[in-house]
Amino acid sequence: MVTIRKPRSTEGLVRFESVTKRYGNKFAVENLSFEIAQGEVIGFLGPNGAGKTTAMRILAGYFSPTSGRVILDGMDLFREPQRAKRHVGYLPEVVRLYPDMRVREYLRYVAELKGIRPKDIPMEMEEKISLCGLTDVEHRLIGRLSKGFRQRVGLAQALIGDPPVLVLDEPTTGLDPKQIAEIRALIRDLGKRRAVILSTHILPEVSMICNRVIMIHQGKVLASGTVRELESCLKDREAIFVTVPGAQYQETAEEILSKISGVENVRVVERHENEIQFCLETAQDEDLRPEITKFFVESKIPVLEIRRDQLTLEEIFLKLLKDGWFQQRTKIEAKAET
Amino acid sequence: MRKVFAIARKEFGSFFHSWTGVMTAVMFFAVTGIFFVILTLNFAQISMDPRSAGLSSFPNISQTHYVFGSLFLNLNVILLFLVPLITMRSFAEERKHETLELLFTYPLTDLEIVAGKLLGLIWFFEMLLVPLAGYALVFYWIGGELDWGPVLSAFLGFWVLGMAYLSAGVFVSTLTKSSVMSAVGTFGILVIFWMMDFAPMSGGGGVSVVVNAMSPLRHFRNFTYGILDLRDLIYFAFFFFYFLFLSLRSIETRNWKES
Ligand SMILES: Nc1ncnc2c1ncn2[C@@H]1O[C@H](COP(=O)(O)OP(=O)(O)OP(=O)(O)O)[C@@H](O)[C@H]1O
Ligand SMILES: [Mg+2]
Repeated sequence: MVTIRKPRSTEGLVRFESVTKRYGNKFAVENLSFEIAQGEVIGFLGPNGAGKTTAMRILAGYFSPTSGRVILDGMDLFREPQRAKRHVGYLPEVVRLYPDMRVREYLRYVAELKGIRPKDIPMEMEEKISLCGLTDVEHRLIGRLSKGFRQRVGLAQALIGDPPVLVLDEPTTGLDPKQIAEIRALIRDLGKRRAVILSTHILPEVSMICNRVIMIHQGKVLASGTVRELESCLKDREAIFVTVPGAQYQETAEEILSKISGVENVRVVERHENEIQFCLETAQDEDLRPEITKFFVESKIPVLEIRRDQLTLEEIFLKLLKDGWFQQRTKIEAKAET
Repeated sequence: MRKVFAIARKEFGSFFHSWTGVMTAVMFFAVTGIFFVILTLNFAQISMDPRSAGLSSFPNISQTHYVFGSLFLNLNVILLFLVPLITMRSFAEERKHETLELLFTYPLTDLEIVAGKLLGLIWFFEMLLVPLAGYALVFYWIGGELDWGPVLSAFLGFWVLGMAYLSAGVFVSTLTKSSVMSAVGTFGILVIFWMMDFAPMSGGGGVSVVVNAMSPLRHFRNFTYGILDLRDLIYFAFFFFYFLFLSLRSIETRNWKES
């Protein structure tokens, strides 16, 4: 069994060295480099298709990268896969398990495949079953479990053998709020003595459980830093949502909005039969809502709703992209240094 | 090695989780049983009245060869149907449920995975062979004169033939997500191997001779005559390991292929 101890090297427990993965001519991950130390929980953020799953599958040893190296506690993951893989536990994005096996039987199978000594297997299973709250379903067929419980079985199999590195691909999707809270607490706890890397689309989740964030887009690192750094960089931006009735107002409204000083990035976010919603960005310190309302009233455009909100993850991405990721990255890194 | 056995145990156990596994076993017992009874009764009838079968005299026909030689030659046709049913789910089912993703992230070599699967299937196949040994005992018990040499060698031949076919079936199973496609594909390949036996040994030109030499049946037939030839054993070993190698290459493609 792999026991958690001080990493052999003083550097990170996990090190990606210019990892590239290509599908045909398409780069899913390009020149990705980062490090994770023991005791860190890293949030992997990125829009759909950014390459999060691909990077995590590489780290889990599912397939090898087209080029580059992954170093795990001083071992090259693809030179010594047998030894290195014992140090990683992986929870896939969609947890696929054998539907015709029972929970206990399955976990025993996983323990055997992970090379746990037969005499340690019963204790190992007991521990993971109770840790993941599976005691009530341990004799049920996996195919008959609800999604939330299957997710827990997935987590239990990742934890078997106590690997010092945990790779969790969207661990909370499809769970109910109570389970989400439980899983988050569990991950935070696990992260104290391990290196955890998790991907998510939920920004608050990152601030709740991660020490550090790596944002990726089109397979490249867009920004990386601690949650605090990232937030402070983005906090000064806010979004205002304006809803007007009917398509006939679209052009005039767009024109008015883009003329107001301090407004950036006006775009339509939703369009229904007789409702159009615009989103625009402003600096945080000035509330432009009164001004916007005034202009709309003057032009006789009815306003159905006007609302201020923090930028969502998607909008942060659009913004980072618009500013150019190189600039933004240096900006965040510069902030990190001060 | 412990990991290989763990995979093999799971693979073997999965036959009893599904109806196809149990049905396959039942059908196999039924069909071989019927063959055995018919052959034994036929033999009994001919031996009592050789002239009705167009034979002038009887004693020069060997009981063992008549019953067991024919039984094993018939069995090899049954094997064309049996093997696809055994191997169809091995990898296709894992690909369908996408369970290979996790399997590949465990500290296992590809060889351990393929060997474990194959071993589990071989255990199931061996379990089916047990009643065949029973037939020999029954034949002996009802007073048949058993020539043990050819019976044992036919048994051995059937065993290695089955293992070689299973290896081919596992390879086909790595190519598809659908167990039906896997079974049909395996059946197709096995039928092609079976037809190789019909290539004339001489007079058909060089190609024909080579095809005939590669026919698994030709090598199997020697076993049913009680001839143990190292060349036949090497042939089946080569057959087995060649398809094992292809399976390994096939699951390795995840490293460079799309989807
Ligand atoms: N098996 C595959 N074959 C070809 N292209 C693939 C394959 N898997 C992923 N891709 C492509 O690689 C890119 C990265 O995909 P990946 O699944 O890593 O994204 P992701 O960040 O996990 O997205 P999501 O947030 O939707 O889970 C995508 O453009 C995707 O289309
Ligand atoms: Mg993904």
